[in-house]
Amino acid sequence: MHSLTILVVDDDPVTRNLLQKRLVKENYEIDLAENGVAAVRQLQKKRYDIVLTDLKMPGGVDGIGVLETAKEADIKTEVILITAHASVGNAIEAMKKGASDYLEKPINFDELLMRLQKVRNTKALIKNASDLREAMNVTEQTSAETIQHLELLCADFQARLERIQSILNDTALAPLERVTRALEI
Amino acid sequence: MIKIKPDEIALLSKYIYGISGISIDKSKAYLLETRFSKILEEEGCSSYTDLYHKAKGDPRKRIEHKIIDAITTNETLFFRDGGPFELMRHKILPELIDARAAKSAGSPNLRIWSAAASTGQEVYSIAIIIRELLGPSKDYRLKLLGTDISDAAISQASYATYNKFEIERGLERSKLTKYFTSAGANWKINDEIRAMASFRKLNLMAPFTALGKWDIIFCRNVAIYFTLEDRKKLFNRLADVLEPDGYLVIGSTESLTGICPRFVPKRHLKSIFYQLK
Ligand SMILES: C[S@@+](CC[C@H](N)C(=O)[O-])C[C@H]1O[C@@H](n2cnc3c(N)ncnc32)[C@H](O)[C@@H]1O
Repeated sequence: MHSLTILVVDDDPVTRNLLQKRLVKENYEIDLAENGVAAVRQLQKKRYDIVLTDLKMPGGVDGIGVLETAKEADIKTEVILITAHASVGNAIEAMKKGASDYLEKPINFDELLMRLQKVRNTKALIKNASDLREAMNVTEQTSAETIQHLELLCADFQARLERIQSILNDTALAPLERVTRALEI
Repeated sequence: MIKIKPDEIALLSKYIYGISGISIDKSKAYLLETRFSKILEEEGCSSYTDLYHKAKGDPRKRIEHKIIDAITTNETLFFRDGGPFELMRHKILPELIDARAAKSAGSPNLRIWSAAASTGQEVYSIAIIIRELLGPSKDYRLKLLGTDISDAAISQASYATYNKFEIERGLERSKLTKYFTSAGANWKINDEIRAMASFRKLNLMAPFTALGKWDIIFCRNVAIYFTLEDRKKLFNRLADVLEPDGYLVIGSTESLTGICPRFVPKRHLKSIFYQLK
């Protein structure tokens, strides 16, 4: 599978750079944003598989704002929140708004990698399902065309058969006349 | 997991056929295990025979409903196959409005029935087309009904809320923003569209003449689960409740050849619809 792109959003430069180093090592493609406002700008320019964002950030846009922008830009983007223990309640609220997971500070990297792996697996499953769906659509469309063609053909034959039948039963016509006309159909 | 025995396959298939008309081929017996193991556990049944007796002995039919929810395939999506909805927009609705307006002086009635509505996507797709074509005008009186045998499907349809996977399928971004409101991680159909439709439970194997006559019937991807005999009977009964100039739309891979000679297929653009002879 291709490497997933992650946007890391955190106002603390130390955390930001640490996250970048660790995740690049794990073969994720990383972009950084130093706050919510920068993240929003970035999300409007490029699509990401995952957004990893701090919940509480200075400036006009917090983690929830980032979540909303990310989902608006692409509903397939998964958002994982990073939160201090004290604001776990907010993180749970955010999950109701479509965040896929949250992590408590200080970040435990093993745990983070596990969560990311989970998202990666889910994405693989979704891709699988959508490939299957696509294959099914193609099959369904092709068979639909065949069936509809046959359906019309059958209806046409049926109508002709009925006309032939009614001519052959038409006692107002001489028998030979009936056959001649029936053959013309 | 509790294994299902051959005689239990026969017993349950017959039971399911009796309550829903759904015909389970022997080769599909694995479906019974994959779909019922959860019910078995929840109801504390020791075997499939046990489940059968519990279901039959339950006067409130709670288990029967669970079995129906589990055995039905509710697979559906917004604007499934595309064609039928373009057909509605460009052919059926304009023709029908003209025909009805010519007949009666007042605002014309439009009666549309989705006979296997599942979780509602088909009904709301129709509603959206009507809204886009006719606007919120009072120039017509609409009855748009969705019915299904599955309680779970009907209740989701009424609730009009869909998760992102259901939304991603078939729905254009512009329609999503126009006709839905986000409700947490889900999307809810706007009230103006929701209010156009109603839903109720109905088994297509049971009489439905009490619902009255219809101008348009959508009966898509449900008869495929029935036996040939039952399909014939069903489409014959649908012919009885369709207006003489009404329209029938079936699934894109379904056929009525050899099933109901009262219907003739007609083509418009890339789709087929049926009318009475
Ligand atoms: C595959 S869905 C079709 C949904 C929709 N018409 C479409 O084409 O997308 C089939 C539906 O038929 C319903 N169904 C199965 N047997 C039925 C019966 N006897 N009466 C009414 N509905 C039934 C199932 O509950 C299911 O929701």
